[in-house]
Amino acid sequence: MTRTLPKLTMWRLIVAAIFAAGVYATYARFFHGFAASTNLTDPQPWGLWVGLGTLCGVGLSAGGFAIAAAVYLLGFERYRPVLRAAVLVSFLGYMTVIAGMMYELGLPWRIWHPIVMWNRHSVLFEVSWCVMLYSTVLALEFSPALVEKIPIAALRQWYLKWHHEILIGLVMAGVVLSSLHQSFLGGLYLLTKGKLHPLWYSPYLTTLFYLSAIPAGLAVTIMALYLSIRSLNVKLDPGILSEISRVIGPMLALYGVFRIVDLSKNNALPLLFQWHEEAASFWLEFALLVIAPLILLSRQSVRNNPQSLYWTCAVIAGGFMTNRLNVSITGLQASSGIYYIPKWTEFACTLATLTAAALAFRYAVIYLDILPKNPPQPRWMVQGAVAEA
Amino acid sequence: METGRAILVDITKCIGCRSCEQACKEIHGFPKDTEAQLSPTALTVIEERGDKYVRKMCMHCQDPACASACLVGALKKTSTGPVTYDGSKCIGCRYCLVACPFSVPRYEWSKLVPYVKKCDMCAARQAKGAPPACVEACPTGASIVGDRAELLEEAQRRILAGGYVKHIYGSEEAGGTSVFFISDVPFEKLGFAAAPTQPLPTLTASALGDVPTVVLVGGSLLSGLYWITQRRAEVATAESSDGRVNGKERRQS
Repeated sequence: MTRTLPKLTMWRLIVAAIFAAGVYATYARFFHGFAASTNLTDPQPWGLWVGLGTLCGVGLSAGGFAIAAAVYLLGFERYRPVLRAAVLVSFLGYMTVIAGMMYELGLPWRIWHPIVMWNRHSVLFEVSWCVMLYSTVLALEFSPALVEKIPIAALRQWYLKWHHEILIGLVMAGVVLSSLHQSFLGGLYLLTKGKLHPLWYSPYLTTLFYLSAIPAGLAVTIMALYLSIRSLNVKLDPGILSEISRVIGPMLALYGVFRIVDLSKNNALPLLFQWHEEAASFWLEFALLVIAPLILLSRQSVRNNPQSLYWTCAVIAGGFMTNRLNVSITGLQASSGIYYIPKWTEFACTLATLTAAALAFRYAVIYLDILPKNPPQPRWMVQGAVAEA
Repeated sequence: METGRAILVDITKCIGCRSCEQACKEIHGFPKDTEAQLSPTALTVIEERGDKYVRKMCMHCQDPACASACLVGALKKTSTGPVTYDGSKCIGCRYCLVACPFSVPRYEWSKLVPYVKKCDMCAARQAKGAPPACVEACPTGASIVGDRAELLEEAQRRILAGGYVKHIYGSEEAGGTSVFFISDVPFEKLGFAAAPTQPLPTLTASALGDVPTVVLVGGSLLSGLYWITQRRAEVATAESSDGRVNGKERRQS
């Protein structure tokens, strides 16, 4: 106990520093505008807040719908213990996306406009509706965790009964909405033909975004679960992590094959072997998102060791972020003719919202019934957990 | 489809006097200093390319990428030619800047309440029968305004008469625009964007067209999966309860 105290203090200091920077950056954004708080310009109108905040925020939150579909629609009961945690990770992810939107939009107080002003030819219109609806679905899916803490039994029972009746509908709506907007985030860039570098422009950007989001979302779910086991005293069989990781490999392989076939169909393969920044960025992305995880996940020693698995998932998430930033920033650099590096205040805003989400997850796991706290454990697992700590 | 007003810019006739820039700034009430590039206070500029002067402005595409991108429909192609912007709808997402194949729209980055700024071909003036301010100010007739189809014919006539590159920039670019350029120097040497020749919104139309299919097919597929899962669970429960009954009987006997 005394041993962990200084560690906690250090983390609290870091969190405090992140929030202090976030508060200053928020002030800069809302009282001095984009020019003072970002390095965005007309040739690079979307930067870190879209590339990292929106594209990665939504993509890495894809775990919730995948796990919910696995449990409720495919009957994979073995995933049920982690269902709430997966839904919570996704819900908080979408909350960071919406919070990020308030920074990103030039006129954020008009964020409701798409509800009444429709343009059904706009991919962004579809994305905004799907994100609105899916955030509602996630909130409803997660709501029992809060409602069951209400001390009025009648209200609790009434809500949970009502919730049970709509649950399957919610899960199905969640799958359809997620499939639509995960792919349409890629669809946003279909209009950039001629501007986006051929290593990333593809008529199948929608499919590519969809195929990469599910494994990356599952990887983030594994990371959240591992950290919960490690530092939030959650008693969860780590075997479930390797169970989830088993589906990530084939999904990444499918994505990798699709990506390469797509590049060859667009006659972009020769570009991979020329020495320029775009090719280097591609290889970094592909190595982190496909090659390294496939090698690591093929090894049983990695899949069955929670810590190795955690780092493998971190590599996948890193590769995923590299891909989204390549599409939204690197791939547009040549045509825009400028070199965009985000201002520190852009990082600070995004980091502060992510930290807030991480803290919300932490306190939810501590105070709500998100993850099982005392399940029976095989003895080797206890030893493993001791060795970890 | 070929109706509406358009502008034809004849690069061979432009002398770089910047009267168009000034006239544009004048009617918008912008500061009068000359700017090197398009900006929120310079909706048209003259760029020097060697000994040629190239005018930059919104191309007023026939099927504009910006208008298809705008999620609230603030940008619209009007039947009279101009692509207009309704600032009261705009939420400031800046997808129009990303989408524009000519990189024309500008954003008021330094304002606390920022809007998109771009040429609207003086739509309000034209509605009253007056020409766009820039065209009216042009002393050499390098920029002229007219019916889109007639201007295309005029451009063709000039090219056939000789002395021009055999291409009307804007006749095919982005599926056709309402601003045309003709030149005696190849366009790529003047820094013109090699925009795709199809209307860019067609690139997203097919993806958006898949939405009903995804909802219907996805919905029925998921319902089917759920039904199978339920059925399997029912069978499993039935079988295991049978087993339990048998077990009890065995224990009882």
